[in-house]
Parts: sequence; C-alpha cells; structure tokens
Amino acid sequence: MDLVKRFARDKAALLGATLLGLLIIAAIFAPWLAPYPNDVFDFHIERRLLAPAPEALMGTDRMGSDIFSRLLFGARITLMLAGIAVGSALLIGVPIGLIAGYYQSWFSDALMRVAEIFLAVPQIVLAIAIAQTLGPSIQNVILALSLTYWPFWARLVYAETRSMRNEVFVESAVALGASPWRVIVLHILPNIASPIIVRTSIGMGATILTAATLGFLGLGAPPPTPEWGRMIAESREYLPEAWWYALAPGIAIFLTVLGFNLFGDGLRDILDPRTRRSV
Amino acid sequence: MNWLSMVANRLIWFVPTLLGLLAIVFTLSRVVPIDPAFLAAGENASVEQVQKVRERFGFDKPLPVQFLNYVRDVAQGNFGVSMFTQQPIVNDLATRLPATLELTLVAVLIAALIGIPLGVLCGLHRNSWLDHVLRVVTVSGLAVASFWFAMQLQFLFSMKLGWLPLSGRMEGFPPEPVTGLMVVDALIAGDGEALASALRHMILPAVTLALPAAATVVRFTRNGVIGVINSPSVAYQTAMGFPRRVIIWKYVLRMALTATVTQLGLIFGILLAGAVVVETVFDWPGLGAYAVRSILQSDYNAVMGFTLCTGALFVFINLLVDMLQAAIDPRGAA
Amino acid sequence: MTTTRRDALKTVLGSVAISTVGFEGASAQAGGKFVYANNSPYDNLDPHTIFDTARAATRFNLYDGLYRWVDNPPKMIPWLAESHTVSEDGKVYTFKLRQNAKFHDGKPLTSADVIYSIERIIALKKGAASLYLDAIKPGSTTAPDAHTVVFNLTQPSAIFLTTVPDILIVNSAMVKANEKDGDWAETWLARNEAGSGSYALRRHDPAVGWTARRFPEHFAGWTGQPFDDLEFRTVLETNTRVLGLIRGDFQGADGYLPYDQIQRLRQSSNVQIIEAESLRVFILALNNSKPLMNDVHFRKALAYAFDYDGFIANIMKGSVSRNPGPNPNPIWGTPAGLKGYSYDLDKAREELKKVTQPLRPITINALAGFSESEQAATLFQNTLRQIGVEVIVDVSPWSVVSGRMRSAQTQADIIPLWKSTYYVDPNNWVGELYGTRYHGTRTFSYYSNPEFDKRLDRALVTGNQEERQKLYEEMTQMVNDDAAGIFVYNTKWYGPYSSKVEGIRFSPVSNGQDIRWASQKR
Repeated sequence: MDLVKRFARDKAALLGATLLGLLIIAAIFAPWLAPYPNDVFDFHIERRLLAPAPEALMGTDRMGSDIFSRLLFGARITLMLAGIAVGSALLIGVPIGLIAGYYQSWFSDALMRVAEIFLAVPQIVLAIAIAQTLGPSIQNVILALSLTYWPFWARLVYAETRSMRNEVFVESAVALGASPWRVIVLHILPNIASPIIVRTSIGMGATILTAATLGFLGLGAPPPTPEWGRMIAESREYLPEAWWYALAPGIAIFLTVLGFNLFGDGLRDILDPRTRRSV
Repeated sequence: MNWLSMVANRLIWFVPTLLGLLAIVFTLSRVVPIDPAFLAAGENASVEQVQKVRERFGFDKPLPVQFLNYVRDVAQGNFGVSMFTQQPIVNDLATRLPATLELTLVAVLIAALIGIPLGVLCGLHRNSWLDHVLRVVTVSGLAVASFWFAMQLQFLFSMKLGWLPLSGRMEGFPPEPVTGLMVVDALIAGDGEALASALRHMILPAVTLALPAAATVVRFTRNGVIGVINSPSVAYQTAMGFPRRVIIWKYVLRMALTATVTQLGLIFGILLAGAVVVETVFDWPGLGAYAVRSILQSDYNAVMGFTLCTGALFVFINLLVDMLQAAIDPRGAA
Repeated sequence: MTTTRRDALKTVLGSVAISTVGFEGASAQAGGKFVYANNSPYDNLDPHTIFDTARAATRFNLYDGLYRWVDNPPKMIPWLAESHTVSEDGKVYTFKLRQNAKFHDGKPLTSADVIYSIERIIALKKGAASLYLDAIKPGSTTAPDAHTVVFNLTQPSAIFLTTVPDILIVNSAMVKANEKDGDWAETWLARNEAGSGSYALRRHDPAVGWTARRFPEHFAGWTGQPFDDLEFRTVLETNTRVLGLIRGDFQGADGYLPYDQIQRLRQSSNVQIIEAESLRVFILALNNSKPLMNDVHFRKALAYAFDYDGFIANIMKGSVSRNPGPNPNPIWGTPAGLKGYSYDLDKAREELKKVTQPLRPITINALAGFSESEQAATLFQNTLRQIGVEVIVDVSPWSVVSGRMRSAQTQADIIPLWKSTYYVDPNNWVGELYGTRYHGTRTFSYYSNPEFDKRLDRALVTGNQEERQKLYEEMTQMVNDDAAGIFVYNTKWYGPYSSKVEGIRFSPVSNGQDIRWASQKR
C-alpha cells in the first residue's frame, strides 16, 4: 500500500502509467474506437493523402485509409510484438543467468561467453540480419528480437545472482542442505526480481523502438499491417506535402516508449533502492 | 597485478568472441533464401555454371568446412568480395569507415558539450525547475524513434525552411581524401566552400545521433554529481572549513571525467546502433548505411565483414574503457 | 561467301544516313557542367555486367557500341560501325568499323577490341550476355582486318541486329593489363573505365557517383555548346533530387519520379519537363507454373480482379495510359483491338468457380523502394480478398526478387514490376516474358505453351518483317487468352531538366541520359 502511495506521488511515473493505460485501452478496444475499423484492409484510393479533417482526424494515407484507425490497430501489434519478444527473451535469459551465476563452473563461463558474443555488436545490427534472413513477418520480427535480447537478461541476472551467491542467507540455506533448485527459486529469484521488473518496463520501450526501426527498414510485418514503423517509412516519399502522414505514428511511438520509460523509472524508485534515481 | 590480469583475461577472450560472432553471422548467411552461388555466378548462368561456381567457392562443402575456410581467409585479411560492388570487402569498409567515424566523433562531442554541463547543473540544483524540465527532456530524448526525429528535422530545416541540406555528406565530390574525414580534408585542401558544405551536411545527422547520447550523459552526470555531494569526503572537507564551491568543483570535475569514461562504452553502443539508422535516413555514406544496404540485398560477405569490424571495434573500445576505468579508480577493478 | 544486305533488316536501320547529325567535327563552343541526380548508386561501372536502366548513364556516356539507339520512337544509328552486311543464310554478320575512333588513352579502336569485348560479355555471363549466349559461341567471332568484325551466329537471328548497340567496346589492351587470375578484370573495370565514349571518367566513388570530362577527340565530333563536365551523382532521396532541380543545383534527374513530384517541379521556372511515351510496361507477372496459378481460370479470375482504372486514375494520377498487352502500345506486335481484361469482380468470381484445385494463399512479392509496386500489391490484395482469395504481401529489394526468379519454385506467385527496353523489338517483351527458352533467365512467367514456342522459334530466325509481325501478334493473343500475365500501363517518361538545357534526346533505351546531345542555352 505504501508502495502504491509513493508511486502515486511521483507525477512523472503517474504520467507513464497513464500513457500505458491509454495504450492498452487503444489496443483492446481498437475495433470499437476506430472510426473506420475496416481500414486496416480496405482502401479507398480515391480518398488518398487527405489532410486531417473531421471525417479523418489524422488524415488518410497513400491507400486512402484512415490513419487514426490504423494507428489504433497498430497499438495492438506494437504491444503484442514487444510483449512476446521481451517475454521470450526473459524466459531464455533469466534461467541462463540464474544457472550460470549459481554454479560457477566452466559451463556457466561458456554460457556467459555466448551471451557476450551477442552483446558484442549493437542489438539492432543482429536483429536486422536475422529478420532479413527469416523474411518479413510479425513472427520473425519477434524471433529476431528475442534471439538478440536474451543475452542482456542473462548478463543482468548473472551479475545479480553472483552477488547474491555470497549473501549470508543464501549460504546458510545451502549449509542447511537446501537443494540448488530450491535456493535459486525461493531465495535468489525473489531478491533479484526488482531489478528485473524495472528493466522489463524500460526494455519494453527499447524493444518497441527496435521493432519500429525494423518496420521502418522494411523488415517488419508485411503490408498492409498497420505497424507504426512501416507507416512512417511509407510516408517519407510524400513529404513535405503530406506532413500529417508521419506525424501521428511517430508521436504514437514516442508516447508509448515514454510511457514505459517513465513507468520503469517510477518502479525503480520504489522497488530498487540501490539504483534509486535519488529524487 | 589485478589490472594486468583483467587486461590479459579480456585479450584472451577477444578472439573467441569474434569467432563466435562470425559463426552466428555465417550461419545466417547460409540459410538465406537465395543460393549464394546464384548471386556469384551471374544472372544468366546455366545450372551447370552455378554448380561450377558452387564448387569453386566451396559452397558444396559441409558448413563447418566452409566456416573454417572462411575463418582462414579472414585471418589472412581476406573478407571476400562484395557481390554488388565487385570490390574486396576490406576496401569497401575502409572507404566508408571515415564517414562513420567523423559523424560519430561529432555526435560524441555534441553529446558531451551539452550533456555534461547540463548534468552538472541538474545535480547541483536538484529538484529545481531546471532539473524537472531536463528530466522530461532526457527521458523524451531516449523515447524518440531516431528515424522519425530525423525525418521531422529534414521536414522542418530542409524542406520547409531550406536552411540545411536534406541528405548526403557534401555537394558533389569531396576534396582529394587524405584522412577521409571531410572537414579535415577540406581544411588541408584549404577549400572553404567544401568545408562549409561538409559542416552544413553534418548538422542534422549529428544532432539526430547525439540526442539519445546526450540524454544518457545528462542522466549519468547528474546522478554522479549527487553522489559526490552526498559523499562522506565532501562532508568531511566541508566540516574542515574548505569553501564548498571549491570542494564541489574539485570532486565534480573528477567525477565528470570518470562518469564519461565509464559510460563511453555504453554511449559508443548507442551511437553505433544509431548510426545504422541515421546514416540510412540521411544517405550518409558510412558503415551503417552500407550494412543496411548489404543486409537488404543479401550481400553476406559484406554483412559478415561489417559485423566483424563493428564487433572488433566494440570489444576493443570496451576493453579500453575498462582499462581506463581501472587506471582512474583502481578499487573498481575486480 | 556471298554477302548481301537483306531488305527486311534494312528497315530497322532505315533512317541511318540522316540521323548522323553533326558528325562533321564542328568546333563546339563548350563549357559548363551538367549534374544529373540519379536514384540508384553507381557501385559498379562495368559496361558488360551492369545492364539496368537506372545505371544506363555509364554505358551511354563512357562507352560506345557498334550502333546506337536514339530518339523516340527509337531508331538505330551507325556508331563505331559504319555499316554491316548479312550473309544469305542469315548467320554471318560483317561489320565495317570506322577508321577514326579512338579510346580515351589515344589508342585507335580496332576489331581486336570488339572481339575482346564480345568474348568478355559471354564469358562473364552477366548483364547483356543473355542476348548473345545462344547465338554466339566463344571464339567464333573473327577479324579479317583491323576494321572488319565478323560475327558467326549459330543460327539465323531476327533480333541480333537490334541487340548490337549493347555490345559496348572496351579497350582490350588496357583491360587485359588489369586482369587477375582470369577474372576478365571484373574487379578493375567495376571502378575504372576503358572506353571510347563521349566523356572520359575522371573520378568515381561508389558512395557519391562519378564525374567525367568531355572527350574532344570523340569520332562523332561535337556541335552546339556541349557540356564540358559531367557529373552523375547518386541522390537516393526523391525529395533531394526534386529540391535540387528546383534550386538549379541539378541539370537533370531520372524521368520516372512519382507524378506528385512532377507536378511540384512544373511550378518551378528553373525546371522543364520533357514528356515522352516510353517503352516500359508495368505488369503483374504471374508464375504460371505453380499449383493453382497453372489453372487458366484462376489466372483469369486474377486478371479480372485488378482495379486497372482506379490504379491509373488515383495512384498514377492519370499520368499514364492503359496498356492491355505485354508489348508497349507504341510498338508493333500487338493485334489490332486487343482488349485485355477489365476490373470486374463478378466475372472474376465466375472464373473462380471453374477452378477445381483447392484455393491457397497467394504471395505477391513487391519491389522494395518502388512505391507503385508496393501499392499495386496492397491494392490487389484488397480486391482479391473480396473474391475470397487470401494474399500475403512480401516486400523485398530487387536483388532478392531477381534471385528468386531464377527458379520456378522460388519465384513468388505474383510480382508487380516493369519490363523496360533493352532492345526495341516485341521479343523484348512478349518473347522473353513467355518463351520457354527464357526460363531461368529473362522470363518472369514460367509460361510454357508449345504453340507459342513454335511461333517464337520461327520469329527469332525469320527475316521477313510481315511474318514476324503476324507471329508476335499471335503470341500476344495467346498470352492474352491464357491470362498469362496482368498488364497495367505503359510508362510515360517525364524527364525533369534544367530550363537552361536544350537538345535532350530521349530514347526509351537511354532514358535521356545520353548527354552528348545536350546543349546549354545561350
């Protein structure tokens, strides 16, 4: 209860939470909120590239579809994509980090070396290469993002686990004969959960940016998927006349990532005192 | 001793890390949708000719053998030939590296010149309106999609106002390359027009690239300053009657240096990842744009060369950072 | 051996003599620089391996061929060769080279250079090679003297002469000196130039483009006020090209800009737009060999399901005209009154009912970076959904698309793309697109029809123009009846040039990039 109160007092974090709330509402209720829910697939080429007006709040795109409607459906794709990608990266990375950090052997060294290899180049480079190899589709974007993101989690959890390993309560649990499995799940994991949760929120933001970049480069979901990065890429050739075309999806990406980052910062302040932003 | 063993340990792992990286990219390059032999054989080659090419380049051998052959070639400095430029990859990378270096250096400079002073100010005036405003700005700076930001800058400054060029590195041909850094080359050649053109072209991409880096620098510097102010040594010296201003500046300067060095690896990562996108949007003829083009065209020799080159650079810089950090603050080197 | 000029072929070179404008070596008043903003990078300058329209400038300005295409409708004029004769059996072509042609290094151009060039083309097997691989065997070309070249074809060819302009001549001594391990200097010539063309290369940077200086000793001489310096600069961003033209930084740019941009350019007093009906057909290539796609009723359903008029009126803004068949409207080979297909979803549904095979999702592979291709794909996806055909759109760069086209298994079901002019003959379109002999090389269709092939075989060897016309018309009709492809429009070329330039000679082969004819307004 105290935590919630503290969180609520942090205006920035509250703003983040609000933005995320709006995003989730947009994603869930897209078919009802969108003025033209069929415009994801239906085109009206006689109405293409119209400036914002009451009947098309954010204008229309190159196929004559309502940008606002597509934007709402894009929220679904963005959330689903980042959610699954970060989730799978966690599922791969956290166990590897735990195991490698708990057992200090050549095997854990080797595991972490593999993670280091992935971290030796910026994530986006490997993600582009993988996405291109697999071919453009939402599933492949998710795959490319998870495959390049797990090492980050492995390294984080590894470092946290290593420092926990020498804590008195872990050592005593081991001395009392608790199985390694039990120690990891019951003693270590709960204690390193805070940094993981905080980083997950910020990681969602980063992943959404990377995914949008893939879409922008043409490696994301195929058309006519209303993916925000792709929408921005499509708009490029119609600048400067169709100024509205890129504006809405760009702001949508910005607000979404901002929401995750502020939310994450707020969480950090209440959950993870060691790295507190020291307000 | 500690320091030496850390460096030695890093050096030992340098080669295996790069080998691992190569293995990943190599695997990717061999499951591409198009047979590399088709690309190498030419558009009009018959089935038999493709088969010949396959044998000549060893594409018919088992993958591990192909990989070993590739590693052997790379060890001899031979990265293969680009399918599209017909040039050795090493040449391609060498001609594009200066463009990326120039852009990145300028971006680092912008990020440091803006980020450190602002970070110090925020740290010293914690919870002031300036601190709050800058917090919003820095969090925002990290939330903007760089390609979109780049497009908006282009829209405003090039298309609407016409102040700055839309893309490219210079109007027309640059002065004869000496360093490959166009600003330097223009100075050497004494070509004022080229210098002006190079600088004008650099503003928008450098600012786009510097934005997330500057935001990162502000945040770290700010937290560092706060840490210094609250540190026992500052409290002690204040108690000893030293003027607070002198103490703070002494420690803050040292801290700013340490923080910058510590974060250099991170910032370099941000910039390199950013360069891939920013160069593509601004047609900046550097490594990033080259990588994107090679990837999209399935020119896998080029992709492997780029990855190896970036990986080596990245690992090397991180090593350098760790060494510097250890030298500045020996306690940290565990 | 008796050699005579054959009447039928004469018609192709009909206006030869009159076209040789300005050959009398006039003393030109030159100066100035022509900067052309190009939409794709000049990463490779080799005239024998690069054969796309986007990079035609290197071929036309730095190199010369035996003959040359100019003007619209295109005609072939004598160039390095003054004339030719054909043997009675149609297999031996003898070309007389002019005496005064020189390479940029001052060395005279002789028959040895022509032989080296054709051998290099067929050995490297890239670019234009597919035009010659069947007809010319390595080592079969001979030179009785320094200014005579004899091509000994394996069989008579009706199209060989129209492909002669694509045999660009390189300086054999210079290229040989730069060969490495029998690579025909492929690496060297990618970055250097060894030609005799109107301009000599000065600098090349794959990231920037290239510059060249006028070659005053060019055999064709110079008239008017030609440009002394030429720069072909890579400017990928459409907006930069357009703004540069408006500001006067560029004297020319590619003529296939989106129509919105053309309208923008028209408002500038610095820019003139030269319009011409090009020979570049936008088609939705169908892979006729795949299951379901091999059913004529399914293909007809597809052909009835594309909104031709909507696409042309809205997306192309009415800037182009409908082209109902595979051959571009301006050239012969299409039966009079060919109607083609129209947008009619009811008819499409009717045809779909006759399909016996089970439906499956269809892939459309659009070209990345070409918004018309992407928009055609998404539009088609939309209309096909209405008749119950599910479509997956995949967007990939040309290199990937063309790589997949190498085999019938990997080529997508539908590809929206253009078929440009490489030589001016219906064979460039209907022949190459639907002949079984072109499978794996120049076809986009994997269509196989013995009746069609029989006519194609004949049309490729006969010298009788009337017979050829009839054959190509029949082939076009077959393609239409089988709905072997979906034909949308013929491109109009809107060449944007500085208003201070005159004398641009557009041909659908050079696309207005042959700068030697251009002149500065006084």
